[in-house]
Amino acid sequence: MTNAQALSAALIAVPALTACVVALAPGRVVRRAALAVAVPTGAVAVALAGVALHDLDHPTVGTWLVVDPAGGLLVAVIGVVGLVSVLVSPAYLDSSQGAVVREERRERTYFAVLYAFWTVLLAVPLAGNVGAAWLLIEATTAASALLVGFSGKGRALEAAWKYLVLTSLGLGVALLGIALLSAGVPRSGVGALSWQALATVSSGRDTALVAYLLLLVGLAAKIGWAPVHNWLPDAHCEAPAPVSALLSAALLPAVLLVAWRSQLALAPAVGLRTTQTVLVGFGLASLVVAVPFLWRPMAWKRLLAYSSLEHMGVLALGIGFATPLAIAGVVVHLGAHAVAKALGFYAATPLLAHDPRAAGHAVTGIGRTEPRLGAAVGLSLGTLAGLPPFPLFVSEVLVLAGGFQADRPWAAAIATVLLALGFLGLAHTLIETTVGKRRSGRAVAAAGLRGVTLLTAGSAVVLLALAAVGPWLSRTDLVDALIRGLP
Amino acid sequence: MSGTAAWLLVALGLLVVTVRRRSVAVGVVTTQALILFGSALSHATTGADVVAAVALAVRGVGLAVVVLWLVARTRESRAVRASVAPLARAGLAVALALLLTWLVPRIGLDSRTDERAVIALVAFGLVAVATRRPTLFQILGIVLVENGLALAALSLPRASSLAIELGVVFDLGLVVLAAAVFHDRIFAEFGSGDSASLRSLRD
Repeated sequence: MTNAQALSAALIAVPALTACVVALAPGRVVRRAALAVAVPTGAVAVALAGVALHDLDHPTVGTWLVVDPAGGLLVAVIGVVGLVSVLVSPAYLDSSQGAVVREERRERTYFAVLYAFWTVLLAVPLAGNVGAAWLLIEATTAASALLVGFSGKGRALEAAWKYLVLTSLGLGVALLGIALLSAGVPRSGVGALSWQALATVSSGRDTALVAYLLLLVGLAAKIGWAPVHNWLPDAHCEAPAPVSALLSAALLPAVLLVAWRSQLALAPAVGLRTTQTVLVGFGLASLVVAVPFLWRPMAWKRLLAYSSLEHMGVLALGIGFATPLAIAGVVVHLGAHAVAKALGFYAATPLLAHDPRAAGHAVTGIGRTEPRLGAAVGLSLGTLAGLPPFPLFVSEVLVLAGGFQADRPWAAAIATVLLALGFLGLAHTLIETTVGKRRSGRAVAAAGLRGVTLLTAGSAVVLLALAAVGPWLSRTDLVDALIRGLP
Repeated sequence: MSGTAAWLLVALGLLVVTVRRRSVAVGVVTTQALILFGSALSHATTGADVVAAVALAVRGVGLAVVVLWLVARTRESRAVRASVAPLARAGLAVALALLLTWLVPRIGLDSRTDERAVIALVAFGLVAVATRRPTLFQILGIVLVENGLALAALSLPRASSLAIELGVVFDLGLVVLAAAVFHDRIFAEFGSGDSASLRSLRD
């Protein structure tokens, strides 16, 4: 067994076993067990990413398991975001009430389902064939829907229901696409669904194109690309904050990776330019839909959700342009979006404790009433807006430059205008949120603020480091390996 | 699958779009699953084929038990008013199925009839979810889509992966169980399984 295989097995086994242990252990040890195992799980994820990124030219490629640079990057993101989500969960559980289950089972259910969700999520980038990837994505739906509706409140139930129904239907459509592909590959069994086998689809270009469209439209419903994004703002807004962070920073990009792998695999059968155009179309549509919402005063978590729609659009553009500059932008965007978005959601727990009205209304002047919280919110929002010198500014410039490099000037120009509009909307919100007029009323001490303050400091360092390396990435072997895809 | 069985599946699928009673619709999707089971078993040539066929039957019966239990547990005090009349729903479903059949080229399944039946079942499932207000019918719409996909799997020209087929059955079971939990909670929270009451989250 190679290092990559051993680490992959450990990466899935450790959190899966923890989910079982947490579900069965005595109540007093549930929280301790959950917190204790999070660190090794995150460490294994980072180690596996290290292995994947160390030997770029020789990825592990099997029928069931793939460990390649793209998967490695995603595993690192999911591992770290999952780790922090588990660590900040006690603050959420202590500062909120109610659950979809009985009170005495609340904490146990939360951690068991969170670990189950994290386990499946970690496995998605490692799936060695499109069938397994679909199964894992569908499994994330069941687990994460329970977490979205965890509070048991009417709005949370509504969000969870929409999420469950829309993404399940979308994934049903994606499965139809997979069945079409399977029928066209001259192999049988699971080998017919491997990423490499998809390139050998022999049922004709039209059928392969229809299959690709069905697959991508289905996955788009899960990624949250417009116009099949309706569940996204509601689910991100109503889920517990640590879960929202996982949904936005980890789940959406993980499914996006599956879409990317599918695009690369089907390019020979469908045509490279055509497969990329579909992604560019989803990217532009997502920006068009997201930008107007970034101008509206909105509850904090809901604003972050619409920002997710915008950033998934940017990532779609990047992988659609597929030039070295654009892919370098994708790498930086993936990491920086995860850090900034997760920080924003983690800040929501102390924010809601500090100002409960923030659950349904736009936040104003938080930097005046609680400067440390203002710093967290400001760093998150400033980064997500694409404010220089933060890395999303760098990555967006790289992606747009990549668009011109890819000979798609119109798409790049439209995206430039939309991103500029989005920036202005979020910059206005940033000012209002951090140093705007203070809302009257008594502010309450913010629970969980200390942890968020530490995270803010750590995030600032990571974000600045990403901004510094971004411009140099396009000439690296990593970007070459990502453009090549699987051998 | 024989042409008659495929068209029977389609006819039953249209019933899910139109019938009023939840228990009847549960019976319909279960009958579909059993027809699929029968077809899978009759064409089984290996042990893996038999296991996949049995999994289909277990899935069908298991879902029926869960959903019928839900029906009994969440009796509506009065019928949920339809937002789209049954005939209009049927018309929409047939129109979408015809449109998709026209748009989608040859898929490569065993027969063109099977391909049309798969597309029709997926279309009917989508229309059921989009036009039916009771949350339970929306669950059944998803099951209908999955039945169509099961038909596609049975009609593949080459053997498909048993592990993937079992995984799909397992995943669908998980999703339906999660949906069942939420249907139950929605009924407890809103006093009805009417999805029209789920409209507070709008921008």
